[in-house]
Amino acid sequence: MTEPLSFFQALWMGGLQGYLWVGFLLFIIGLMTVVLRRSFLLQFMGIELMLNAINIILLAFGKWHGGIPTASTFYLFIIGVAACEAAVGLALIVELYRLKSTTDADQHSGLRH
Amino acid sequence: MFLAFALLTLGSALAMAFQKNVIVAGLFLVATFIGVAGLFVLLSNPVSAALQIIVYAGAILVLLLFVIMMLNAHEEEPPQEDLYIQRYLGLGVGVLMIGGSFWFIKESKLLQSLSERPVNQVAPVSLNHIGTEMLSHHLVPFEMIGLLLLVSMIGAISLVKKRL
Repeated sequence: MTEPLSFFQALWMGGLQGYLWVGFLLFIIGLMTVVLRRSFLLQFMGIELMLNAINIILLAFGKWHGGIPTASTFYLFIIGVAACEAAVGLALIVELYRLKSTTDADQHSGLRH
Repeated sequence: MFLAFALLTLGSALAMAFQKNVIVAGLFLVATFIGVAGLFVLLSNPVSAALQIIVYAGAILVLLLFVIMMLNAHEEEPPQEDLYIQRYLGLGVGVLMIGGSFWFIKESKLLQSLSERPVNQVAPVSLNHIGTEMLSHHLVPFEMIGLLLLVSMIGAISLVKKRL
């Protein structure tokens, strides 16, 4: 039985808090990519980053609950939904590119009205 | 090992977020996914790591790079109007969220008690476990995922095709 890690040790050496911290940071980077970049393709990549961040957090909690297979099962469902989202999202981007021959989100601001 | 994969993941994600060329950003996204797969291995979950490589770094990224090269939109265009306030507001919200999440992880008593559980003896999750769990307890979601994939495939084709 080893000693439990302190908080900062857990951050550096891979305790539960370290994985959660990586997941949170990855989610925020993805969110900032969606908010600050203008290209639809880069915004799409930001969405994929956010999905990966929640996967890290889900599997970290799964391990600290004793390695239950439920977490991996839900991970399977999540990547199924992510594949659907990728197919439909890219189809929408192609369709918008055909409409105005640009992937710039600002020029598609007519979608707002 | 954890630090190496975490730095690979976060570093290439940051490089992707600030990349001008969209194709190079896609390649940095591949590096991010490989780093995430390494984290999954460290979480004693080799099946999920293999799925991550196959589905994300394989299928979704190939689809994305194919669309980027087909659309011929490799560079981000200059902005039509300067939205400085929104830009700095977005950055401010990001910094606020980083601080808030750090405070939450540090102060939460529940996380502290959960993280003190012993995890050295946790056995890796095998494909056998996942298959038994999925087909005995989560059969309906499994069928619905299949249906959802079919519907989204039909939807994507009908969106892109000009005349059905």
